[in-house]
Parts: sequence; structure tokens; C-alpha cells
Amino acid sequence: MRLAQLRNRPLVYLTLMAFLFFSAFPLYYSVVVASLDNSALGSVPPRVIPGPHLVENIQRVFDTVPFGLAMANSLIVASVITFSQVLFSTLAGFAFAKLRFRGRPMLYVIVIITIMVPTQLGIIPLYMLMAKIQLIDSLYAVIAPNLVSAFGVFFMTQYLSAAVPTELLEAGRADGCTTLRLFWHVVLPIARPAAAVLGMLTFLNAWNDFFWPLVVLTPENPTVQISLSTIASGYITDYALTLTGTALATMPLIIVFALLGKHVISGIMQGAIKG
Amino acid sequence: MRNLHRLITAMAAVTLVAGLAACGSGGGDKGAGGKVKLVIGTFGEFGYDDLYKEYMAANPNIEITARVTKAEDHHKNIAAHLATGQGSADIEALEEGWIGQFKSNPDKFNNLLDLGANEIKSQWPEWKWKLSVARNGAQIGLGTDVGGLAMCYRSDLFAKAGLPTNRDEVSKLWPTWDAYIATGKKYAAAKVPDSAFFDGPTVMYRAVLGQSDIGLYDTNDNVVVETNPAVRGAFNKTIEALNAGLSAKIEAWSPDWNAGFQKGRFATIACPSWMMAYIQEQAKDASGKWDIAKIPGGTGNWGGSYLTIPKQSKHPKEAFALAKWLTSPDQQAKVFRKAGNFPSTSTLYSSPVITDFVNPYFSNAPVGKIFSESVATMKAQYLGPKAGDINTAIQNGLTRVEQGKQGPDDAWKQAVEEVKKIV
Amino acid sequence: MRNALHRFDVKASPYFYISPFFILFGLLGLFPLLYTGWVSLHDWDLLEDTHPFIGLENYAELVKDSRFWNALVNTVSIWVLSTVPQLILALLLAHVLNSRLRGETFWRTGLLLPNITSVVAVAIIFGQLFSRDYGIVNWLLGLFGAGHIDWDAGTATSHVAISVMVIWRWTGYNALIYLAAMQAVPDSLHEAATIDGASSLQRLLRITIPSIRPTIIFTVIISTIGGLQILAEPLLFGGGSFTGGNDRQFQTLALFLYENGFSLFKFGYASATAWLMFLLIAIVGAINFSIIRLIRRA
Repeated sequence: MRLAQLRNRPLVYLTLMAFLFFSAFPLYYSVVVASLDNSALGSVPPRVIPGPHLVENIQRVFDTVPFGLAMANSLIVASVITFSQVLFSTLAGFAFAKLRFRGRPMLYVIVIITIMVPTQLGIIPLYMLMAKIQLIDSLYAVIAPNLVSAFGVFFMTQYLSAAVPTELLEAGRADGCTTLRLFWHVVLPIARPAAAVLGMLTFLNAWNDFFWPLVVLTPENPTVQISLSTIASGYITDYALTLTGTALATMPLIIVFALLGKHVISGIMQGAIKG
Repeated sequence: MRNLHRLITAMAAVTLVAGLAACGSGGGDKGAGGKVKLVIGTFGEFGYDDLYKEYMAANPNIEITARVTKAEDHHKNIAAHLATGQGSADIEALEEGWIGQFKSNPDKFNNLLDLGANEIKSQWPEWKWKLSVARNGAQIGLGTDVGGLAMCYRSDLFAKAGLPTNRDEVSKLWPTWDAYIATGKKYAAAKVPDSAFFDGPTVMYRAVLGQSDIGLYDTNDNVVVETNPAVRGAFNKTIEALNAGLSAKIEAWSPDWNAGFQKGRFATIACPSWMMAYIQEQAKDASGKWDIAKIPGGTGNWGGSYLTIPKQSKHPKEAFALAKWLTSPDQQAKVFRKAGNFPSTSTLYSSPVITDFVNPYFSNAPVGKIFSESVATMKAQYLGPKAGDINTAIQNGLTRVEQGKQGPDDAWKQAVEEVKKIV
Repeated sequence: MRNALHRFDVKASPYFYISPFFILFGLLGLFPLLYTGWVSLHDWDLLEDTHPFIGLENYAELVKDSRFWNALVNTVSIWVLSTVPQLILALLLAHVLNSRLRGETFWRTGLLLPNITSVVAVAIIFGQLFSRDYGIVNWLLGLFGAGHIDWDAGTATSHVAISVMVIWRWTGYNALIYLAAMQAVPDSLHEAATIDGASSLQRLLRITIPSIRPTIIFTVIISTIGGLQILAEPLLFGGGSFTGGNDRQFQTLALFLYENGFSLFKFGYASATAWLMFLLIAIVGAINFSIIRLIRRA
């Protein structure tokens, strides 16, 4: 499916390099500052070569906050949320895409409307709810509100409605398969690439979420973002330390992406979203 | 196909296990073996870590857990926890910028007078004590540190402008803010390249306002921004300095501001004690070029906190005992030596730990004396609930004028309109 | 018996499949939503204990509040400035990547790097980039003879800076989505066009874009909803200032909501803002859908 060569190849590569440079620069620069010290950010001309303090700053991060615990908590939270959202989104996506039932259009519209809700203020009533069921300060409180996602349902519905051939399902029905068997044997394998994409994005969002965990958890039992907030606290922000923390916090994402990346890319490559 | 199914089953199992492991540490109040567990929430660097160990060693039935968050998030979370009646720590630190807001709802906090705070009232200067007293007379906090206020200046730049450099002489240059502006005009006339007299309008406005008896609120929690001439006066005085071209027009805490320290973009900056460490870190090569003189008007304070005990605490007596200990002069002296937070207990100000304290970076200025003097005689100005937000509105007006967006009268009008919407 | 079971399965099982979403959302999503609706009808200060019922007064006051309209204008402006270039860039990028290239996975991995970078790091670094006196952007502009721009002081300039941050973050993501859709376009179409002498750009405009129209619509919808709710970028660009600059020049609706709720503690007023925002997004969403229907019919 590759097209014939574009005419102006050097220009193409140059553009791509420029784009890659801009994409990667902030991450690179944050590592540079992380390896220097607090005054690096204000230096003129800006320092772009890494310095010697990276290991020392990493050590300081672990001394200042329970970063290992934070990473573990974030991993648990993000994994559970990802698995749950992908599973429930695929289930619902299958139903909306390929099953017929009364009220389908209206319920689907409700899903879409749900995406439009600004969630910031929900923090207070959600906190009250969590307080009533005694879940404050546990990871459950962070996981529970994120078990499902309207965006996930929307995404999987779009994908499955194009990617799952209706004839296949009808043939299966004719053979006497139950809906569950159809789901398990026909839909899931086809859904895999989109599920990988959704999983990646969900994991990313769950890992980087900081508004809600900050309210409901405490620095003794933190996620990674809370620990970053603790590091950045103080009358005066220690930028080098903060950016060391963010660089460390990004590491698992890069690893996950490296592992899943091929699946994600190839999944998208399989002409995923046709809506 | 089979591999996929195996993968899913495996993931489900892992998720279940992970989910079970997600039991949090819980906010229980009884530690192991019947100890009383106290949670204390602070922000930034209070310097208490060693003190916690010391206290726990001396009081084996007490277990202390510390929570540290960024200042804005810390206070936002306290608001959420107070509103929902759940989740706050036994001791919560409140910064002076926020205390006005929280003390307007004193029934969410323990009245420390009921727990015995009256006995230690004399430890603090009157204004520090009064700042945490609610309108109904309840005392909700014990003072921790103060910022004080002095004027940090670049003696080398002063020399270039033909101004005196010795700090006593410099302090004599500006006993009033008018004299400060006059000095600034002299500095501007000397045209030292790439350097303005001060960084921006915010701190000057706050310092001038802080020096009057009545500020933004009267003691009945009425906003008096329009009627109190002191507020407009502080505004106008700052405008005067801006109009004289003395400002470097740099926003505090921005990257330009950091670079400003390194490049000597401003010759003076009103500095509380905690700013010293910041300047030292930002402008490492400028050691010996900075010095500290008195602030015009002689008194001032920027920053400082209190330890409060929310009513939600299940152990108010033990919490009070800990808070009282942490804020006592001995402990404040220890914190000062370790973390540099300037003590609020005025009884310390005559002891050598303060009087002998000098800062070599700032040309060996006797900073202990300077800051304690600025704080000891300060007036007690009543701070109402939305003081912080009102100041933000007025400060925004000042920067609008500085940036040429509006004239002073329009900026003032707009600020007053904003204030009306805030309260 | 089997027949009845089978009919039950076909009729009822869909509801089981969608029920996890609706149940969980009902418990944990709907309740906070309705609660904020309830709160919006009261004079509700977060720290006080009494909350008098005032009906629609919050809404009436909001509609008269110039700060609300200012935030609305800012939000729309930033949304246009960030969404349009972003999607166009994403299209061009996807088109370029949709050809035989060396190191494909490498380029495509690079597309998602901005999404992985932590928001905190982005804020700190872009703050430095757009600094008035010592920022890299102004330094570059200086090389071309342009003056020092005070990025966060002006309305237009701050919108541009924030839009750059948003574009930076999301272009690669959208490019990947477009790329996927483009792969489904048959090569034969492109080959025929090339033989007829069509340039690369013509192929993009005449063949590719019409073929992936549904995908483009999907991204427009998602970008719209996200763009109207933008909060982190303006908040962090202003260094944590809730007012979005000294003249509210870059305060978006979400930031205005946040200021009222968590700085001024005016919970009722903030809740009313949230519901008006929701209304706005729903209206825009409805317009989006009508346009889609028109296009589908065409």
C-alpha cells in the first residue's frame, strides 16, 4: 500500500526531520535541565547540552518523595483503568455497531452527549460520593470514576461498524452461535488493533491525570503526578528536580509505547477508522 | 485466536490481583499498638522532618505522618476536604495569603483558645497573632514563620550610578516611599545600561498597602477598597514609580525574572527572608554584589504560615500539643538554622541565633537583625476573606498600566468592578 | 426451548453489553453531573454551611457577566487558531508519510512524542520559549529583525502562543489517525491519477481527502469538544494565574469555571458556568452533526 516515490525526496526528509525535532525538543530539553540545576532555565543563551547532575537529581527525587511507590501505584491504576475501559468500550461498541435493539439511536446519542460534559466541577460531588462509601485515600477512588469512557465507546463503535463484516456475524448466527460466542470468536480478534490504540491512549491519559488524584489521594499514597506536585512544591520551584521527576515519570510511557507501539501503528495501519 | 484468548484471560487475572492490591493505606487514626496517629499537612519546605523524629522519640504514643503538597493544590484540597467534612489532616498549615478566606468560616476549625493558646500568646508579635483571629474572636492558628521585608539591592550597580553602597547609608536614602522613588529617578538618570530600578509593581504595592492601619477590609468584613484612601494611595504611589520609568516590567516568577537576577536587570527588589535563597541560586556569580538595606517605611511582611487544627481531627488535644511544640521558640530556632525559615516568635529576636546571623552572599548583611526589625514593629492589619483575590485584581490593574494597556484611572475603575464581582 | 433462548439472546443481550457503560456512568458520572446542576440553583460558597436557593439567578448573572463572554470569545478564538492549522498540518503530514519512506516506524513513533511528554514539563518549557526578554522564540525572531514580543501580555499573541502549544501536542496524534484512513484508499486510484499527470498535491485534494472524509469529521468532532474545554494550557501558560492574564486576555471558559470554583470558592456560580459550557458544546456538536448529515446526503 505504499505509493510511488514522492518527487522531492530530500525536501520530504527535511520536513520530517524538522517535525521530529519540534516533537522531541521539549522532552529533550527537559532532560537537559534535569541534568543541570535550577538556574539553567533562566540561562541566556539557553543551555542545550546535558550536564553532569542527572544521577544526583534522580537520587534527590527518590529521597524527596516515595517515587517507587508512586510509580507502582500509577502502574496499577493505569493498568486497571485501561483494561476496564477497553473491555467495556469494546462490549458496548459491538452492541452499538452491530446489534439491533430498541432505543439504540437514542442511547448512542446519550453516549456522545456524555463526551461533552466538562468534568472539572464534578470533583466536589464525586469526592462527596467517595467519602460516603469510605473510599477516600485508596486507589479505588482514583480507578472507579474512570472505569468507563464515552470516548472509548464512540471510538470502538466507529471502528467496529466498519471493520466487522456483517455477513460474518449473520453466518455465525445462522450456525446457531450465541451473541457471546460471536463476540468472543469474531469480534474480539478484529477489534484487536483498535483496542491496542484505545489501550495506549487510555493508559497515557490515566498515567498523566493529575486533577482528580490530587484531591482524593494523599502524598503518602501517591500516584506519579502527585509526587511530581510534591517535588514542585515550595515557595520556589526547583525546576531541575521537577523536570527530573517528569522525565522519570515519562519513562514507563516510553517503554509501554515501545512494546505496544508496533501493534498500535500496525493496528492503525489496517485501515482502522472509517466511521 | 487462542493466543488472544489466553492473553485476555491472563490480563483479567492480573487486573484482579492488581485491583485487590489497590487497597490504600487508609486514613485510619489508630496506628499500630494503640498509638495516636497524627497527620500534618504542609507545603513547601517547613523544615519539620527532624522535629517529627524528635517529637516521636519524646512522645512514644504519638505517630506523625507528614503530607507535603504544592501550595496551591494544598489549599484547594483543604477547601474540598472542609466542604465535604472528610479527609483533612489533623494539623493543616495555612499560608497567610489564604488564611483570610479560611478564617471567615471559623467553625470548621478548632478554636485554639479553648485548647490553651492564650498561655503562649505573648510569643508572637501582635500582628502575627491577630492575623489568624476570626471575626468572632476565635483563634484558629499558631504562627510558624514570617517573611519580613527588606530591600535587596545591587551595590555594584548603585556604584555605577553614583549612589552610596554602604547599607546603612542606603537605608537612609529611602525612609519613605517618596524618597525611594526619588532615588530611583536618580538611578534612571545615570542610565546604567540594561538595568531598571526595580522589577515590577506588585511587591511595592503590597508593601505600601501593608504599612497602613486599615487595608482592604474593615474589621466587620466589609470591603473598603473604594472608601479607604490607603488603598488608592498604595495604587497611586506605585503608578508614580511606574510613570517615572523605574520598572523593568518583568513579571515575578517568570523565566524572564530568573534571568533578570543573573543579568542585573533590576537594581533593587523588595525581598522577604525566603527570597535570599532564591537569589543566591539564580545568580550564583553575583555573590558579594548584592546587599540588603531597610525597606522604605521600615516595616513589612510577605509570607508566613500558621498551623491550624480542623474540627474534623479526632485528636485535637494531641494535635494542639504537637502544634504548640512545633511553633515554640526553641523549635523555630532549630528550623531557622536548618531550613532558613524566619521565626515568627519575637522572643527569639534578641537571642544570638538571630542577632548574629549574617549572610555572606549578601556582603555579610546582618539579615537576622534586619528582618526581625521589619517584623517586630509591624502594624496589625485586618485581613478579610477575599483579600488575596482583591489584591490580584488591583495588581492586574497595575500591570495593565505598566504595559500601556490602560491609563491609571481606567485601570482602577476596572479593578474596582472586578472586586465587586469577587465578593 | 432453544428457539426461545435464542430469541432472548438476540433481543436482550445487547442491553447487557451496553449496561456496564451506562450503569457505571449512571453511578459515577451522572450523579456528579446532576449534583452540579442542583448546586447551580443555589448561592453556594464552598466553605460556608448554608446555601440559599436562588433559582436561575446564577444563570441570569452569568449571562450579564462580561467576564463570561470574554472567556467565551477567548475559547472560540483559541479553538479556531489551534484546531484548523492542526488538522491541516496533520493531513499534510499524513500524506507525506503515506509513501515509501525509509525508517517508517521511526517517523511514526515521533508523532506521538508530544502526547507522552508530561503537561508539567510542557508548561515549564513553553514558558521559557515564549519569554519576552530571553525566550528562544523571541531570540529567533530577533535574528530576522523582528522585535521582542510580549507573548502573554497581548490577547492575540497569547492566543497564538497557547495555540502553538495545543498544535504541538495534538498534530501527530491526528496525523496517525489520518494516515490509517489513507492506507485504505486503493492504490489504483492514485496510480491512475499519477499517470494522468496529477501532482502530489492534486492527488491529496481530489482523491485522498474526499475518501477519508468520515475520518476527518471524526477528528473535527473530537477536537472541537476537547478544544472548547481547554484548561491546562491557559492555566500553565499564565504561570498558574487563574485570571488568564492581567486583563483576562487568555482566560478560557474552563479556566473561568476553575477560577470561580476553586479560587473564589463560588461553587454555585461555577456550576452554572459548567452547565452553560455544556449547552454550548452540545449546540456546536449538533451543528457538527447536521453538517455531517448534509455531507453524507450529498
